[in-house]
Amino acid sequence: MTAGGSTRVVLITGASGGVGRGIAHACAELGWTVWIAARRRLEGEQVAAEVAALGGVGHFVECDASLAADLDRAVATVVETSGHLDGVVLNATSGLSPKPVVFTDVPLTDLEDHVAVSLRGLYLLAKATYPHLLRSAGSFVVLTSEAGFEGKAKLSVYAAVKAAQRGIVRSLAREWGPQRVRINCVAPLAGTPAMERAFEMDPEMAARVLGRNPLGRMGDPATDVGPIVRFLLSDDARYLTGNTLMADGGSCPIA
Amino acid sequence: MTARATTTDTLMIASPLDVLQRLCGALSAEAQPVPSCPVGEDAVGFEAAWSDVESLQQWRDVASSGPKVAAVVVAVWPEAHVAAPLMSMSPAEFARRAEWPFLAWYAALGAAISRCADGGTIVALVERPSPLDAAGWAPECGQADAVEALVRSLARSEGPRGVRINAVTTPARVAPSQPIAPAPPLSTYPGRIDVEVTDAVAMLLGAGVGGVTGTVVHVDCGRSWR
Repeated sequence: MTAGGSTRVVLITGASGGVGRGIAHACAELGWTVWIAARRRLEGEQVAAEVAALGGVGHFVECDASLAADLDRAVATVVETSGHLDGVVLNATSGLSPKPVVFTDVPLTDLEDHVAVSLRGLYLLAKATYPHLLRSAGSFVVLTSEAGFEGKAKLSVYAAVKAAQRGIVRSLAREWGPQRVRINCVAPLAGTPAMERAFEMDPEMAARVLGRNPLGRMGDPATDVGPIVRFLLSDDARYLTGNTLMADGGSCPIA
Repeated sequence: MTARATTTDTLMIASPLDVLQRLCGALSAEAQPVPSCPVGEDAVGFEAAWSDVESLQQWRDVASSGPKVAAVVVAVWPEAHVAAPLMSMSPAEFARRAEWPFLAWYAALGAAISRCADGGTIVALVERPSPLDAAGWAPECGQADAVEALVRSLARSEGPRGVRINAVTTPARVAPSQPIAPAPPLSTYPGRIDVEVTDAVAMLLGAGVGGVTGTVVHVDCGRSWR
């Protein structure tokens, strides 16, 4: 069994579907307590039930990951109910993320939603959870993207906020390390409803995405990506901080 | 300056111009100032960074409408800050250091690609704390990586019309006075804006790098290895 034990308590934002749901499933398999933080109550409660069915303890807490009050309330609920917080996953992303737009056609007003969820959301979630991670010598994981490494011609805002998250994580790793709190990124490539929407909006995208992937397939959120995030949340990764793990089947070679 | 851009029409979209005026002069560039940050010292939340997006949009439209030029340098630098842990920053400080610069960089790069002629070249000059010295500079580290990604996005979208776009990074204003060990390889660390940084920008604007696009040159005297 991966180190961490069945008493580990983790909070995952944007976990009502897609990659977040897969991470929740992976954590549930080790009996962890998993808090699903999302705006969509019905779907979030369903994922919490799936966590319980897989052997974990599942909870749902309604939360808009771009709002300080929501995040503070969600974190307070987690700690009051479960007693402590060992791991945090920032998985929420803007609903505009898969929408392809030419750079000069992007209304500047569209930038705020990306920034509010991905950058402000990181700042707010870090502020809300750090005191608790300090007590547990915990772990924080940010879901970024290969887009943040290589850029995307028509997803430039998404690529930029994902890259910015990595830069912030690089700094936080050095700020938090002396207190034994770790922070890392994972860049997944997974078959999710969001990816399916992106493929629908850009019909050539599927060929571009799969044609470069040496493993020749999309990752599975629960069995390919989830265990990698779970590893970073666990004590097995106690000597790993400030890194980005590419959970993308070799699609984006950075080494 | 050891290299020189071959272009005679260079536009520099930049702020603050008082910090960057010698670079602008060395490149014989026409200066296009970027609007200043609207987040004042008395701001209390994130909203101030987004309070006047319409004006910035109008600025982008105006800045985009000038004559085409062969070379554009973009440098959207905030007012000087001091290193501070992210956990100690107020929402307004985060808005000032992270959110507004993101918005302003996006607007400025949009103007740059509109102004850059086919076959031209763009250099984004961004402040970047070296990874070993990243503590206390979370917003600035994020901004630097965001600009790198924007440059790579634009290299893809503008490449078909022959436009090259690259980035130069510098820790000149964000380097610690006493770097942690090991010492940077060059004694000139963190590098001078009007010497090493200007040379790198001129190199990327000049002849001899026609196959180079979407790259990042870290002008930090060897402090970064990636």
